[in-house]
Amino acid sequence: MRSIVERFSVQTGHDTEMIDITDRVKEIVAGTGVANGMALVMTMHTTTAITVNEGLEDLEDDITEMLARLAPEGRDYRHARFLHSDGQMAVNAPSHLKGALLGMQFVAPIADGNLVLGARHTIYFVELDGPLERQLVIQVLGAE
Amino acid sequence: MIDFHTYPAQIAELIETDPDLPGAIADVFGLYMGPQPLATYLGHLDEAGITQAVALPLDCRSAHGTTVFSNEQIASLMERTDRVIGFASVDPNRADAAEQLVRDAEEYGLRGLNLDPALQRFDLTDRDLAYPVYAAAAELGIPMMVRCGINWAPKGLSSLGRPLLLEQVVHDFPELPLVIPQLGWPWVDDAIMLAVKHRNVYLDTSVIFSGTPTESLRHVVETRIGRELFDRSIPRQVLFGSSYPRVDPKRAAWAVGELGLRPKLERRIFHDNAAALLFKEAN
Repeated sequence: MRSIVERFSVQTGHDTEMIDITDRVKEIVAGTGVANGMALVMTMHTTTAITVNEGLEDLEDDITEMLARLAPEGRDYRHARFLHSDGQMAVNAPSHLKGALLGMQFVAPIADGNLVLGARHTIYFVELDGPLERQLVIQVLGAE
Repeated sequence: MIDFHTYPAQIAELIETDPDLPGAIADVFGLYMGPQPLATYLGHLDEAGITQAVALPLDCRSAHGTTVFSNEQIASLMERTDRVIGFASVDPNRADAAEQLVRDAEEYGLRGLNLDPALQRFDLTDRDLAYPVYAAAAELGIPMMVRCGINWAPKGLSSLGRPLLLEQVVHDFPELPLVIPQLGWPWVDDAIMLAVKHRNVYLDTSVIFSGTPTESLRHVVETRIGRELFDRSIPRQVLFGSSYPRVDPKRAAWAVGELGLRPKLERRIFHDNAAALLFKEAN
């Protein structure tokens, strides 16, 4: 069995943004030459998320609005202070909470060299505290 | 909208030009986040609705043996994007500081001066070292930002940046526009006193000490200053500043927006006052 780890970056442009990374993930998986196995997609940041849903703009808007309702700005969050380890103000508790709600990984099988996805599955990288350049990791496990 | 207070301390294209910069940013400023592309900096401005931002360097060669962006590096950033308004910094502890300020401001088109007594370790009232620099800025007709109040940098001695130390300076240089960031917190009363009394004293809104920028700014404005004072006494002397990258510009902008100021005053804070100071636009 082989284990291949690939990294790629995404430059986001907004505070909150759902970015379709399906084709990028498929391309990376295909490039590994693994025919049967599984792929893990993971974001390296706790104020981002990976989620899968139907690739429709209205659903993207509904999801981001839902997140804003569940983790609104302006509440009495504890994570609102100077963070000495960064030298920055840590004032993005809602971004962290939204990330916790959506999760930061996605796993899909690989069969016959293709990523196995439902017909309506779109893999999203979700920016929750942008704009920033973000890093993602894909690990492919399997056999050629 | 103009952000009067950013440090380009995360811009990869700038940091990569000088191998000493990553260490200097960490050691002097106490900023430990990795670099980001210029696109991220510009994206931050876009997301906040900011059209242009002041980029501040700091020359602390005497105190810490380095500049955290030289004036030349700020000029190179201005060549990459016209959305940056470059300021100069000189080290008042150096004998050639005033001369360098004149030379660099003219050569690079820098529109202001940034001083940080807490990090540069100089006495704001020093007539031999600091006054020639003030005189040069006044002669150039450029605003001078003096970092007063809490200094988050580990090596910063905040006591050297008490706003009241500027009182005699304001008297001696009545034509020199002097910007006190973060409303002088925690010495807000001193900063407000200077601004209320002297038309050439400006305050920026980049106050952050605990909580979100919205919470910090609201606390200071509502409980220490009084919202009415901005409108009644210093409507042309308050500038929007984010203090990026200590805090992201969007949240700093939200903080001012959520004060619920009258639209005319808000417009002045976000744009008109800075444009008058930097570009001599009517206000």
